Amino acid sequence: MAHAVLSCLHANLAALEAVLDDIDRLGVDTITCLGDLVGYGPQPNEVVELVRSRGIPTCQGCWDEDIIEGLNACECSYPSQLAERRGQLAHHWTAAQLSPDNKDFLASLPLSLRRDGLVFVHGSPNSQHEYLLPDMEAFAALERVVSAGADMLFCGHTHRPYVREFREGSIELRLRRPDSGPGQESERRMDLPVRRIVNAGSVGEPRHGGTEATYVIHDGDRDTVEIRQVPYDVERTCRAILAAGLPPPFAWRLRHGFEYAERADDASHVCER
Amino acid sequence: MRGVVLVSGPPGCGKTSWILSRLQEHRGPRVYRRLEGVDPEGRPLALDGGLDQAFLHDQIPDLRELADGSQDPAPEAEGLLALIELPLFGPEIPETLALGLRPDRHLHFGRDSELPRQDTLVFGALDSWSLDLVTEVWDPASVNSFWFELVNGAYGDVYRAKALVNLPDGRGFLFNWMVSCSGTQFLPLRSVAPPHGRPMRLSRLVVQGKGLDTAGLQTTIADCLISDAVLELQQAPRRSQGEPLPATG
Repeated sequence: MAHAVLSCLHANLAALEAVLDDIDRLGVDTITCLGDLVGYGPQPNEVVELVRSRGIPTCQGCWDEDIIEGLNACECSYPSQLAERRGQLAHHWTAAQLSPDNKDFLASLPLSLRRDGLVFVHGSPNSQHEYLLPDMEAFAALERVVSAGADMLFCGHTHRPYVREFREGSIELRLRRPDSGPGQESERRMDLPVRRIVNAGSVGEPRHGGTEATYVIHDGDRDTVEIRQVPYDVERTCRAILAAGLPPPFAWRLRHGFEYAERADDASHVCER
Repeated sequence: MRGVVLVSGPPGCGKTSWILSRLQEHRGPRVYRRLEGVDPEGRPLALDGGLDQAFLHDQIPDLRELADGSQDPAPEAEGLLALIELPLFGPEIPETLALGLRPDRHLHFGRDSELPRQDTLVFGALDSWSLDLVTEVWDPASVNSFWFELVNGAYGDVYRAKALVNLPDGRGFLFNWMVSCSGTQFLPLRSVAPPHGRPMRLSRLVVQGKGLDTAGLQTTIADCLISDAVLELQQAPRRSQGEPLPATG
């Protein structure tokens, strides 16, 4: 059965509506959302309410957590002072806009979802803030999948969609106690079945070089993953950004396919607050 | 090359870079003067704010400057090279422009073959905007983002942008960008500011373009400039450890 996975909506209503229309047109009726419903974008309440009205199972993203906890969007991971100032402005604006009911909804979201061998998280099984980039060291990436007990791990957070497959993976353990002599070692080898990481990209703040919203459709029967790119009315969102009083460069960056804030130099950074 | 040479050309044609090369290779007294150009058709000439002059003096510490255009350097020391820079679209010097000096030669970009051939812009009516940034220090990652936005049109259609920026480690850079050229020149200054408070050398941003969002520019720049406290945090370790200043140039 095919199901759709979307992530990183970032309060971009026009993009979310276009993606949901695309999913409906394809006749896919199971949808999972990987969080970051809000943050940077101009329509946080509208996006949260649309997700709620569609009954889409959703896990909590880093922005969803930060808005509720007042953590100010993990300022320790901002790559520049400019990004931090803009991020703080967006954070305070979003926090002021969100209704109490929608904040309660975001606070209630689980950190992960599981369906059979499929595990859904925002960043990684370790943290909403950890980036699983496509070129992450293979052992570390595989460890994230195995530790979550997943055959297929769906994540977002990087805003760049990708499918990464681990074939013929194995882990060898050799254990020797401190008081044991030479040769008294226990060994264990685990041959791992094919595992995958699927990054759903971003609906509201694409980072693939274009302006199209991205999400993925996984067909379990056919064992396929399709990365979908959906055009939407970018100008509508840009107008809403300016009308909301958010930083005008947000509109310019969205219009040109640039992320709102540049990426952190250390993508593996995890906030340890 | 010797003598007094007037070097003219339109904005962005490479006058300053060419002049720097000639002055650097000259063994003898070196003199530089930048004149303000006048265009008969009223087109804006390079709004510079002293950036080129400051950069040349940084690169050539013993460079002498003519106090004013009326001073004739020709009778001075033998082997002298005096280069006079004049922003000018066409090769004809307008009668309204009083040079006040007698150059031995006049070289014009686009006319004289010994100058490099470079595309130059034909500027129409452009807005010019300049911001004094003396004593200001940029967050390095932020200035990178800002410059990317600036030259890619986030604050209007920018045709030319030039800046002398200070970084927290004491280094300074000349940023030079022109819409007709690929990429920005990031040229390091030779001088490094000491880790004691704010740098006092000339620092400025000049922008020419159409529909410039000057309020947006100022808002973003304010978010890129670091506070006294942040600057002190970055300078203190260099003072206490006696760390050698980073080499530039």
